[in-house]
Amino acid sequence: MERSAERTPVVELRDIKKYFGAVRALRGVDLALNRHEVLGLMGDNAAGKSTLMKVLSGAYIPSEGGIFIEGQEVHFASPMDARRMGIEMVYQDYALANNLDVAGNVFMGREVVRFKLGPFGVMDYPHMEKETKNLINRLKIDIPSVRQKVERLSGGQRQAVAIARATAFDAKVIIMDEPTAALSVAAIDKVLDLINQLREHGSSVIIISHRLEDIFRVADRMIVLRQGRKVCDTPVSGDIQDFRERVVAYMIGARNDFAEASPVL
Amino acid sequence: MTTSQDATSAPSPELAPAFDLRRLLRDNIRDYGMFIALGVIWLIFTFTTDGLFVSGRNLVNLVNQAGFIIVIAVGMTLVIVIRHIDLSVGFLAGFLGAVAAIAMTQWGLPVWVVIPMTLIFGILTGLLTSFLVAYVGIPAFVATLAGWLGYRGALGLVTRATGTIVIPNATFNALGGGFVPDIPGLTFLPERHKVTLLLGLIAIILFVVSSIRTRRNTGPQVDSLSTPLFVLKLVVISVAIAAIAWAFAGYQGLSWTAVIVLIVVLFYDFVTRKTVLGRHIYAVGGNPEAAELSGISVARITHVVFASMGMLAALSGILYSARLRSATTTGPLLLELDAIAAAFVGGASTSGGVGTVFGSLVGALVMISLTSGMNLMGIDNSVQYIVRAIVLVLAVVFDVVTRKTAK
Ligand SMILES: Nc1ncnc2c1ncn2[C@@H]1O[C@H](COP(=O)(O)OP(=O)(O)O)[C@@H](O)[C@H]1O
Ligand SMILES: [Mg+2]
Repeated sequence: MERSAERTPVVELRDIKKYFGAVRALRGVDLALNRHEVLGLMGDNAAGKSTLMKVLSGAYIPSEGGIFIEGQEVHFASPMDARRMGIEMVYQDYALANNLDVAGNVFMGREVVRFKLGPFGVMDYPHMEKETKNLINRLKIDIPSVRQKVERLSGGQRQAVAIARATAFDAKVIIMDEPTAALSVAAIDKVLDLINQLREHGSSVIIISHRLEDIFRVADRMIVLRQGRKVCDTPVSGDIQDFRERVVAYMIGARNDFAEASPVL
Repeated sequence: MTTSQDATSAPSPELAPAFDLRRLLRDNIRDYGMFIALGVIWLIFTFTTDGLFVSGRNLVNLVNQAGFIIVIAVGMTLVIVIRHIDLSVGFLAGFLGAVAAIAMTQWGLPVWVVIPMTLIFGILTGLLTSFLVAYVGIPAFVATLAGWLGYRGALGLVTRATGTIVIPNATFNALGGGFVPDIPGLTFLPERHKVTLLLGLIAIILFVVSSIRTRRNTGPQVDSLSTPLFVLKLVVISVAIAAIAWAFAGYQGLSWTAVIVLIVVLFYDFVTRKTVLGRHIYAVGGNPEAAELSGISVARITHVVFASMGMLAALSGILYSARLRSATTTGPLLLELDAIAAAFVGGASTSGGVGTVFGSLVGALVMISLTSGMNLMGIDNSVQYIVRAIVLVLAVVFDVVTRKTAK
């Protein structure tokens, strides 16, 4: 088989297992994400979606299994390792520091240094604020000032800040954990448009959602997790009603494309 | 946070009317409330003591008394910002002050060795605390309560044979009670200390220039003052600096304690506001999980903050024993609680992420001014504690209320 750079997945997870004590959150999951692809990730509560994505973002170290970036195996010891490899994640709870302003959150952990005074890096405020402004304009986010403290922002604005942070550094892969869960219909539209925009700009996106409509609208392919296992990996196509019925069957365990034995009906 | 809100359904923020007094008060009273409170307290004592309170002599005493509390309060603020507490620093300061005294009197080490050595001991003890907190996972309250007991015992042990250790070294003692010498041969203003006046002038110029430059660089923003208020702020603070420098210069000028406090406050203010390290400290305080996910090591920040606390405890011990010209068997009693009170009066918050170096400086000055003023007025000691209790509660209530209305 031909393995040109175009065909190698940007990210590949192989047989990922993650245990929290006795809880087996992931029981061996494979996942491949291709270039310019939007991948939907669905599953019931506690199926392991967030855990799987946190393994990819470096927040969790897998108990077993391998992570491959463009064909190369990597070992993430921390989220910073993953961010350095171009993997950014928008966490379900946004992971913002409410006491810092918008620019401070966008650049959290990656502050731009103007010059160093011994061990102290002096921050370049004007640069960070300008970059944040550009970013916010590009994403068409409605925020009055990049110096607004996050504690004063609404839920949608906070989420916009979290997304802005994930897209600030030309990420290869952007993971969004339930980005539409807390939003109004109009705000959901914006997020989905943004995902399309990111794909056009050359990023690959993984979106976790409970709303099949979202997945149907933006995703090229979809994976369903159930009880820590992948039960479905399918292109997104066809009629949404048929699609919904199939997905529900996978989610409740009536179907499983990856079962060792024949599926229990 | 209500999750149903979002960017598009929320009313887009209208441009604020040119002058909205309520908004103005709401946005600024939190930042400047403590300075105003300090001003009011000073005014009241000035009247009740017939001006004695603002005499150069009393102000110098005030600063020299407050010095060892201020440096601890600065360190404590950062500890509180990252959601911890340090109860051990009072006896730690006493213990390290005694170690410094012993190093000079019994080991015969020179001052210039003793001071850095004591500071390094302080850093090491701070790292011991942070090891327990960040590595072992013991709550700071418990870990430092153990420190409180342990250092109290250690202080008792090292002073058991000698009792109070008298420090004969004049250089060391000058840190607690000495004054910066004046330039000899200047004849103008014979009654005033010229170096102090010069420093005051430099401070005003630096303050005004840097304020204007910051404002010009960033332009008007939602949270910044309008131009007349900005000018008012510059004038008020400049006049305050001038008045204080003038009063100091009329007595014996700047004390070494004041110089050390200034250096500590300016350095920590710089680090917390301008540097990556400072930003990371506040990020960890605001949301430790988020900080960790952004690649900031919470453990590393915890080590740095407790190490700095230990170093400042050592400095505090040096200032305290230099002031008394001796190391006592009990050390500065209740120092840790004074520092914690100062930090909270200065606007720090128990929920973390909030608190500034200048706030704690003002908080410490408020508390020490109350003591000094009430002493001058001859108010009973027990009543003094109650007054300070009320001020502490008022300050925190003020903070809570203004924080709520700001949302
Ligand atoms: N940090 C953790 N410690 C212990 N158990 C966890 C942790 N994170 C997730 N789990 C458990 O792992 C399982 C999968 O959780 P999660 O990945 O959050 O599910 P999802 O995002 O699909 O709803 C759940 O049973 C959850 O309780
Ligand atoms: Mg989840």
